[in-house]
Amino acid sequence: MKLIRTTKEQFAFSLGKREKQLLFQILQMYPLVPPSHHQLSKTGERSSHHEDQRLLEDAVAEQRRENRKQVLAMLEEPGRFRETKDDIRFSLTPAEIEWLLQVLNDVRVGGWLALGEPEELEPPEINATNAPYLLAMEAAGYFESQLLAALGHHEPTQLDES
Amino acid sequence: MAETATPVIMPEVGQEEKTGSKSGLDSAWLVVCWNDPVNLMVYVTHVFQAVFGWNRQKAEFHMKQVHNQGKSVLARTTMEKAEHYVHQLQKYTLHATMEREQ
Repeated sequence: MKLIRTTKEQFAFSLGKREKQLLFQILQMYPLVPPSHHQLSKTGERSSHHEDQRLLEDAVAEQRRENRKQVLAMLEEPGRFRETKDDIRFSLTPAEIEWLLQVLNDVRVGGWLALGEPEELEPPEINATNAPYLLAMEAAGYFESQLLAALGHHEPTQLDES
Repeated sequence: MAETATPVIMPEVGQEEKTGSKSGLDSAWLVVCWNDPVNLMVYVTHVFQAVFGWNRQKAEFHMKQVHNQGKSVLARTTMEKAEHYVHQLQKYTLHATMEREQ
């Protein structure tokens, strides 16, 4: 996936055909993070903590239902992904990029949680059950990086670290 | 976070409520972001910029603090604003909580 053109309102990308399959596959996994994963506080200091936590989980669940609808609408929208001889072209507005980053990171974090939260992303022993989660985590990270690069963000290189 | 980098700057924690009164200080809440090794460093930087409107330098400072120290206090503010920020950060699946200032 690469950025091919930018205007004020649109970012135009080129996708390989297999990349498109992969993107669709992981977007269909959304949402992967359970609503109870999010905690309002580590200490639960507020007297109304349990009520607040329930409200938070309701809000997260509602937001995900809306995001899920948007994901499915995007995947099915006629003309959104235009196939050419060599690749697939599609465009996103800045607001759509923000939303897609949220969706992709849910899949990435959800995959990581399903793998048992490996430290420093050391992959666990791969089997038929957890392989889709590893794929989801890695692929979501890849697409996130491409979207962030389009916005001018780049992961630090080895040179940056020295 | 998934990659490492070197911190170079030391901006202050975002402080929205500067009442100076004891009662104002007593009611302060801290918005804390905790390290999850799965989040990309550039992603965390981007989210801090998007949620708080910070420049990249300040966002990177807090991202590196999360990465190197396990957490960063992103804002000291009222309960309502802290709730708002925590919800915004969680929309991006960052591990964020609000804690009463000790």
